[in-house]
Amino acid sequence: MSAAVAAPGVRSDARRGPTFPRVVASEWTKLVSLRAPWWTGGVTVVVAGVITYLSAQASSVDLGFDPVDSLGTGLALAQVGALVLGVLAGAGEFRTGAARTTFTAVPRRWPVVAAQALVTAAFAAVVAVLSVAASVVGILPPAARRGIEVDLWAGETPGVMLGMGLFVVGLTLLGLAIGVLLRRTVPAMVTTLVVALVLPVLLTMVGPPPLPADPAVLEPVAQVTVGGTLMVLSPGGAAQLMTFPASSGPMEGGPDIGPVGGGLVLAAWVLVLLVAAALRLRLRDVR
Amino acid sequence: MIEVEALTKRYGSTTAVDGLTFTARPGTVTGFLGPNGAGKSTTMRVVVGLERATSGTSRVDGRRYADLPAPLHAVGVMLDARSAHPGRTAYKHLLSLAQTHGIGRARVREVLGQTGLEAVARRRAGTFSLGMGQRLGIAGALLGDPRTLVLDEPVNGLDPDGVLWVRRLVRELAAEGRTVLLSSHLMHELALCADRVVVIGRGRLLADASVQEVVDRSERAGTVRVRTTDPERLARELLAAGAEVTPQEGGALHVRGATVDDVGTAAQRCGAAVLELAAEQVSLEDAYLQLTADAVEYRAAGASGGAR
Repeated sequence: MSAAVAAPGVRSDARRGPTFPRVVASEWTKLVSLRAPWWTGGVTVVVAGVITYLSAQASSVDLGFDPVDSLGTGLALAQVGALVLGVLAGAGEFRTGAARTTFTAVPRRWPVVAAQALVTAAFAAVVAVLSVAASVVGILPPAARRGIEVDLWAGETPGVMLGMGLFVVGLTLLGLAIGVLLRRTVPAMVTTLVVALVLPVLLTMVGPPPLPADPAVLEPVAQVTVGGTLMVLSPGGAAQLMTFPASSGPMEGGPDIGPVGGGLVLAAWVLVLLVAAALRLRLRDVR
Repeated sequence: MIEVEALTKRYGSTTAVDGLTFTARPGTVTGFLGPNGAGKSTTMRVVVGLERATSGTSRVDGRRYADLPAPLHAVGVMLDARSAHPGRTAYKHLLSLAQTHGIGRARVREVLGQTGLEAVARRRAGTFSLGMGQRLGIAGALLGDPRTLVLDEPVNGLDPDGVLWVRRLVRELAAEGRTVLLSSHLMHELALCADRVVVIGRGRLLADASVQEVVDRSERAGTVRVRTTDPERLARELLAAGAEVTPQEGGALHVRGATVDDVGTAAQRCGAAVLELAAEQVSLEDAYLQLTADAVEYRAAGASGGAR
């Protein structure tokens, strides 16, 4: 009985505290030991594949059908899965009181946020790869039916696929950051969905109505509007840019920052929100 | 060793802990006693670094909690039965906690055994009863083999077996030279396992003494029952000495403000034969209620009279 509990202070070799790799290992165990990440991840992949297939199928009747154009269509809906995955990973800790256990073990707190971001990104990366793969699988039957050979390594397609993957990872991290910052699942979920999905739609309505297309002008002059600019700078709008090839040009009324620019804007949002969450943890009490 | 000094914690205009000072020493079980809302849990959360003190300090082994190099090895903490994610199994909960300090799986299985949770280790914590949740919390506290343990209401929700187990466990931990700080709102519970009690009410220190001292102190303020052949004469004698006397049936008197010794000698002085003389037994609960009565009254008055 007493052999199990050695005299205090004996195991000196094992008495090092929470190093960053240890916190990462702990957070990984925490993430993958819950059901929610697997469910939301799985749903993301399936929705990406199915919606892409349906969308490509619908477009396949068009004359100029190019299967790879449909690649990103599934993610337009599947992104909800990524956002939910992130929010649950971020807010679940606080909702359940598990945060008390976590932060007594790691009183410096910020390594926990960093480790959570890291392991959630890793998990999301797997979901992202599978989602892109599912999307590719989704365009194959319609392409085959039209006898079009899909070359994934031609032109801008590799870039689009990379952008799609990073889109999933980025939105998961956006959900995580908002979850950790707000600490409560429902408000965090609502905020995330509004920011990522509703806001971009609202912002497109802010801008002036588009001018009627002038057939005389082949290349209409891109007009940068306030709404369009905000749209591109919003996390949801910036994320959408990542799934389009650079050659598709700017969003309506937005500056042309391209998929890389969109990715950087989203990354900046995630970083700012994570830093805000870490600061809130540093400065405020954990109840 | 836990040293709390002049600790104050305010939430807006509410003062949860008010200038609290006490020490929990190695080799001792220190009972932390107070009515619900007295500030016990707040104090414990400040001690383990979850909350920041408004003023004053709290140190564990001479350091601020946040400065401990390996918190899990220094302090074992059980604050709440619900401090595990309900969707995570007991084993994974403990494993993730262990991993923060590089503690191996063997130790995780060891504490699962020690707390009697082996059979349910693969069950999700959300399916646990309150008592099993408490055991899981205690398992987490023991994980790092810490020198100090902070346990908030550990017997809450445990069955009689579990209560006995916790009492024996904390005695063993203290016997091994560890510091144990254990809160309860039940005086008799602490009387059975604590060496000292720190009693608080309204966030203020009411008593910091051994269990026996707390009882003695309230006995001094308690009642002595005496039956005599000449109650009137004895009553006059006692009143002259400044005591408070209430006549009872059958020639008995209830005396306040005097000890058994005082009453006995007073009876001898006035020549009244004593037939029966005893201090009214003060239960631990009475002693505790007496200590906290003012605190509770103040709270009630404050609540009806609005904020102070």
